[in-house]
Amino acid sequence: MGSEHLSKQYDTDLETLRSGVLQMGGLVESQVRGAIDAFAHGNQELMDQVIANEPKVNGCEVSIDNDCSHIIVKRQPAAGDLRLIMAISKTVTDLERIGDEAEKIARMSRQIHERGHADIHRFATVRHAADIALSMLRQALDAFARLDAADAAAVIRQDVAIDTEFRSILRQLITFMMEDPRTISTALEIVWIAKAIERIGDHSKNIAEDVIYIVKGTDVRHTAVEVVEREAIG
Amino acid sequence: MNAAVLQPTEQTVNQKIRVKGLDFYYGAFHALKDINLEIPERKVTAFIGPSGCGKSTLLRTFNRMYALYPSQEAHGEILLDGENILAPSQDLNRLRAKVGMVFQKPTPFPMSIYDNIAFGVRLYETLPAREMEERVEWALRKAALWDEAKDKLRQSGTSLSGGQQQRLCIARAIAVRPEVLLLDEPASALDPISTGRIEELVHELKSDYTIVIVTHNMQQAARVSDYTAYMYLGNLVEFGVTDEIFIKPKMKETEDYITGRFG
Amino acid sequence: MNLYTKRLFVNRFNLLVSLFAMLFGLFWLAWILYTLVVAGFTALGPSLFLQMTPPPGSSGGLLNPIAGSLLMAAVGTLIGTPVGIMAGIYLAEFGSRGWLAPVTRFINDILLSAPSIVIGLFIYEIYVVNTRHFSAWAGTMALALIVIPVVIRTTENMLRLVPDSLREAAAALGASQWKVITLVTVRAAKAGIVTGVLLAVARISGETAPLLFTALNNQFWSVDMNAPMANLPVVIFQFAMSPYDSWQHLAWAGALIITLGVLVLNILARVFFRSRTPTY
Repeated sequence: MGSEHLSKQYDTDLETLRSGVLQMGGLVESQVRGAIDAFAHGNQELMDQVIANEPKVNGCEVSIDNDCSHIIVKRQPAAGDLRLIMAISKTVTDLERIGDEAEKIARMSRQIHERGHADIHRFATVRHAADIALSMLRQALDAFARLDAADAAAVIRQDVAIDTEFRSILRQLITFMMEDPRTISTALEIVWIAKAIERIGDHSKNIAEDVIYIVKGTDVRHTAVEVVEREAIG
Repeated sequence: MNAAVLQPTEQTVNQKIRVKGLDFYYGAFHALKDINLEIPERKVTAFIGPSGCGKSTLLRTFNRMYALYPSQEAHGEILLDGENILAPSQDLNRLRAKVGMVFQKPTPFPMSIYDNIAFGVRLYETLPAREMEERVEWALRKAALWDEAKDKLRQSGTSLSGGQQQRLCIARAIAVRPEVLLLDEPASALDPISTGRIEELVHELKSDYTIVIVTHNMQQAARVSDYTAYMYLGNLVEFGVTDEIFIKPKMKETEDYITGRFG
Repeated sequence: MNLYTKRLFVNRFNLLVSLFAMLFGLFWLAWILYTLVVAGFTALGPSLFLQMTPPPGSSGGLLNPIAGSLLMAAVGTLIGTPVGIMAGIYLAEFGSRGWLAPVTRFINDILLSAPSIVIGLFIYEIYVVNTRHFSAWAGTMALALIVIPVVIRTTENMLRLVPDSLREAAAALGASQWKVITLVTVRAAKAGIVTGVLLAVARISGETAPLLFTALNNQFWSVDMNAPMANLPVVIFQFAMSPYDSWQHLAWAGALIITLGVLVLNILARVFFRSRTPTY
């Protein structure tokens, strides 16, 4: 979005909107990281903090959506500006859902650690999947900040990896549950956590798709990865 | 800078007007530079661009309105249904009966509403009184003015309000049953409600007429047209389906103009 | 005093001066009218319009000069108006190219301000001398030559006031140039053109010099265009210079009639114009 608008106020409004999204992204990132760490180390304080911060994330979504409406009614944006506003509105929804998933992870962790059955070293795969999801989120937000379609395409490719990880986690947990029925409650909670991580990956992928829409104008939702890469890079 | 013709994507649509290598001069000033363009039939095509870009000039070549002024010249070809209307042998009056025009400022003739509308019809057809009345009523209905005007058909055209006068001019233009309708910023002198009515009207008329509209209001172009041409300093920069031009334009200059990033 | 008070004073002072200037002008006009009425009072009455000009010493009326003036003015206007309007149309609508229009305009301006006696002498030379007698036709021609430049000028100006957008709108419907002119442009300028004609009539009503050498005068009732015809200006000239009281009174009455007539025509022209002018 090279040069500036004739209206400086318009530029300022858009800049405020963009940095609002990045701020919300940073907040959500730290929520996810906090939740994963809390799960790994049983840190009660961290868990509480994540849960307490959740309303802030919701507030960001509402306020940014509100700003989007204002820009639409005042400026009737077209072309690149229009795509930016539409994409931001969607991205912000995805970020809010990621925040929800982070809160869920924190809650589940609390329940697991209260019960005391946590043999966390056995759940390295969960940690691994979480790392992938976190890196996807970070890369998607980077791609948004720099409006880089190639990076966004890379994020979409990583989604496949997460799906694979999720299935292997499920297999592991089924094995554990069959070995020792007393671990079933914990195992189920870990399934929800793994599911949440998989959802975080999905939402990050959505954000990456939005970035490609902003930059290239093509809607790549529901298309195969190869097609996406061609659109983004070619 | 001069983009080649970007064809509208539906190839099944007939091309009513084809412009080939059109150059236009106001005296020594080169106002239109090598324009190549095709106007599809029974669709609305909008010309947008900043002031002085040549959009009105291009519009006025379609009915050779410039011929009224000796220092204005057009070179090249403009094919209307395959016939070159820039040829010296072209009968201007017949051309203008086929290609109607509505101007920016409403210009009712100094006669009754009825006579205003009958004026053009009387030039080329001799209709018995009853058929003429029917034609007048039809034109007024099409222009969404019948209800407001039916009781004052014998009153002067100048007794109407601005928005009504403009609709009168539109009724007058369609009463002669042209094939093409040229609208030169038809709503720019009107209030928002009248503007809205005119836009509704364009939407209804397009099933019967090929419409070309010049407008400096981009949102109007986006609302009203099927195809849009963006012009700048006498050049045709981009031409395409309206949705694409406004959501994903191909040329950076187009995007800059549409998003207000000029200068 | 400060700037504001000074400005206020200057403003009021200038307004006062303008007011007095206007009153000064009105004063003389009023005095003229008053003088005319008082001096011609004895001759005013129905006999003025019913009796012919009398021989010296007796009383009578102004029937034949009034009729003669009306007749010649009417015919002169009838001849001059179409010529003037057509020429005005040419200058306004076709005059943008070539040399004919600027030259015509220039000559017209000269004719417009030509002394009317010159016009009278001209008609005398080419017509009266050749036909060997004075006639109303000669008088009519002279009057027509005065009407034409006035009508040309006003017609052209009024047509120029019609905006081009109106012409374009008519052309856009496929009307040929002549149809545009007659059906739209001239109709739009109708009020102004008629006003121009009325003003021309007012002008020729009072012209004496051209009639002196052309229509001369006639003591008796005559509507023969080929013979000299009585007319108000020449009668006034003749009667006012005479030593007879009755004639002098009639002259004053005649002058009053002309003055009132011109006044009424001017008022009519203004009222007509204002009520019929469309706003563009």
